[in-house]
Amino acid sequence: MVPDKLDGVSASHDHPADPSRRRLLAGLLTAYTASLIPWALAQPAPHADRGAFTALSALLVGRQALDAAQATRLYDALATASPHFPADVQALLTLINERHIDPLQLQGVLDGEHSPLAPLPRSIMSAWTLGVVGSGENARCVAYETALDAVIVADVLKPPTYAYGAYGSWTGKPS
Amino acid sequence: MSAELSADIVVIGAGIVGALAAQRLARQGASVLILEAGPRLERARVVAAFRNSPFKGNWMAPYPPSPWAPHPIYVPQDNGYLKQAGPYPYPAEYIRAVGGTTWHWAAQAWRLVPNDVRIKSLYGVGVDWPLSYEELDPWYQEAEELLGVAGADNTGSPRQHPFPMAPVAEPWSMRRVRERLAPAYPVVANTVARNSRGYDGRPACVGNNSCQPICPVNAQYLGINAVEAAEAAGAKVIPNAVVYRIEHDVKGHIAAVHYYAPDKSEHRVTGTTFILAANGVESPKLLLLSASDTYPNGLANRSGMVGRHLMDHPSTSLTFYADEELWLGRGPQSPSSINTLRDGAFRSQHAPYRLDFTNISQVLNVTNDLIKEGVYGAEFEKQLRWRAARQINVKNVLEVLPNPDNRITLSAEKDAMGIPKPEAHYAIDDYTRRAAEVSKADFARIAELMGGTGLRYSADGQFANNQHITGTMSMGNDPATSVVDAFGRTHDHENLFVCSTGVMPTAATMNSTLTGVALALRTAEHILPAKNSHAATAHVGHETSLA
Ligand SMILES: Cc1cc2nc3c(=O)[nH]c(=O)nc-3n(C[C@H](O)[C@H](O)[C@H](O)COP(=O)(O)OP(=O)(O)OC[C@H]3O[C@@H](n4cnc5c(N)ncnc54)[C@H](O)[C@@H]3O)c2cc1C
Ligand code: SF4
Repeated sequence: MVPDKLDGVSASHDHPADPSRRRLLAGLLTAYTASLIPWALAQPAPHADRGAFTALSALLVGRQALDAAQATRLYDALATASPHFPADVQALLTLINERHIDPLQLQGVLDGEHSPLAPLPRSIMSAWTLGVVGSGENARCVAYETALDAVIVADVLKPPTYAYGAYGSWTGKPS
Repeated sequence: MSAELSADIVVIGAGIVGALAAQRLARQGASVLILEAGPRLERARVVAAFRNSPFKGNWMAPYPPSPWAPHPIYVPQDNGYLKQAGPYPYPAEYIRAVGGTTWHWAAQAWRLVPNDVRIKSLYGVGVDWPLSYEELDPWYQEAEELLGVAGADNTGSPRQHPFPMAPVAEPWSMRRVRERLAPAYPVVANTVARNSRGYDGRPACVGNNSCQPICPVNAQYLGINAVEAAEAAGAKVIPNAVVYRIEHDVKGHIAAVHYYAPDKSEHRVTGTTFILAANGVESPKLLLLSASDTYPNGLANRSGMVGRHLMDHPSTSLTFYADEELWLGRGPQSPSSINTLRDGAFRSQHAPYRLDFTNISQVLNVTNDLIKEGVYGAEFEKQLRWRAARQINVKNVLEVLPNPDNRITLSAEKDAMGIPKPEAHYAIDDYTRRAAEVSKADFARIAELMGGTGLRYSADGQFANNQHITGTMSMGNDPATSVVDAFGRTHDHENLFVCSTGVMPTAATMNSTLTGVALALRTAEHILPAKNSHAATAHVGHETSLA
């Protein structure tokens, strides 16, 4: 349902197909995960770690397009915040690939198994949807207007501090 | 010690209340010096700090305290500035900067209802004020004209003259709430210091929905506007001047105040008349801090009441999903209330309250909830839109009665300048708790009328604080039980006045700033009468725009 709403945000699904890169990203997915995020097969991925991050991000946020530049920014911020991040991402993607875990069940599964990977989905979700990397004293804002929580409702709401419109424009029924 | 400064009027604190008293006195030709503990802020920088903040739900985040003038911070953790003695926490929020706390207020600029100032006589609880609502009316009017207040006539507070502006255009969400709650509950437009048209050189609201923590466009009146008005009238502001002692002479008159600059250099400022306007927590702290051999319990404290009778407005709330799309977040944050429970015979039994609807965008809260619940995959976006469109919140704003045990004292701990930190002693009594219980039936009925599902009541016994600091320097006719008289003059020191929401003897149910400003303007008139005016007769030049 989404891509048309993403105009101007997601440049990534327009990339020309590049067989070598496609193989790389395809190699990170199984038929199961590829079925959830078919668009990701066509994603350029500079190397395996970043490719795995793109794939895992897409599974978690459940969108059929992700902004490539934002992915780079978030990956860099997350990897800087935690040295284990690249390995954790690979491990979680492998887990989902192998066990065909539905994204909606994922957190419950990880929590139930006391997996050391349990905090990972939340930190990736927080980065993409709130634009926040890290927590507590170490929290950093890496995106605001382009965070997905703003993008997803952009047809109805402006992010706070941005003018909605001329005086009184908010009286009508949102459409 | 540097060369001494001097002025006719020395004001401690450049918040909205002190600055508006200062501008009135400066306009009468007095020399006015305002000493402000915090730095000057720039609106654009505050906006940028908010956008860059990882804690968008924390309105203090764009206002980091300066080392020499700390203020309480609670996120990501308590900075330990306001000490908590219990039994119930009192996490006051305020900003120490030129302009003060209203940098991030919601601009609800309400009058009380007439019976609020007579609850002892009428209901046998609390205390009566030393003045009537009728006496307050012209000062409310003057305050409303200075701030630029937009409001409607159906909110329960009588008035002699029209509002300066018509109510702010009603967001769709609140229109639907109003339509669906009628006739069970009349939902009315909030009275707000927010422009519904260009006013006094400031623009009409454009719906940024960030009134808290910052209005980017100057459509909402802030303390900084008051400071600029005072400066335009000739007052001088010294920022980064942390007053730490008020000095009296042998007769008990105030002779000077002492402040630290950030480098801890000491400065002495003399004057004829002194106005303490450092808010309801820092002002009593300063009076206690100024104890001397003659006044061992602190200044203005013959009664022992300085810092006591601390009040605020606690809230409990209900969050739920309406059965239609409302999309909170379009237009200003605080548009509508139910005012019919502000007064009634029940006040002898339990607290009155206002019911307040927020129009704050729900996107941030909903996103946080979804992440917490682990809702990932395609369901995330679906749920985000569904919930953000339907989630709505109603809270009560409960009266707290004056109780001498609720108080601000000096902590044994000191801040970086070596000044004792304030300490809060606070409890919420049964009078207020009973009202919270009673209001649950209103919450339930409101949810029912809105087709509500997913009802989430705030946890029993848990109250959010509304940051309306009141009572700590209460006014009264009896010097044995109050700190200042009906004009804000301290009973003990002829030339020391207090301008603050802290002089209000009771808290009522309405956000207290407009009342604080009205009382301060009355104090200013008392200190130096305006040459040719009284607000009661001189409401100049505003549009007649009654809705
Ligand atoms: C999030 C939030 C929302 C609010 N919304 C509303 C609302 O909608 N409606 C409403 O009526 N009220 C609201 N309030 C309350 C409102 O902000 C206060 O009532 C108001 O700011 C009181 O004004 P004041 O001038 O007395 O104090 P302040 O605004 O706190 O100003 C006091 C000034 O004194 C200075 N000062 C302190 N100590 C010293 C010292 N030692 N030396 C020199 N200067 C000193 C401070 O730095 C400060 O600038 C809100 C408060 C908060 C926190
Ligand atoms: S909605 Fe926007 S323009 Fe209006 S008062 Fe709030 S922040 Fe200012």
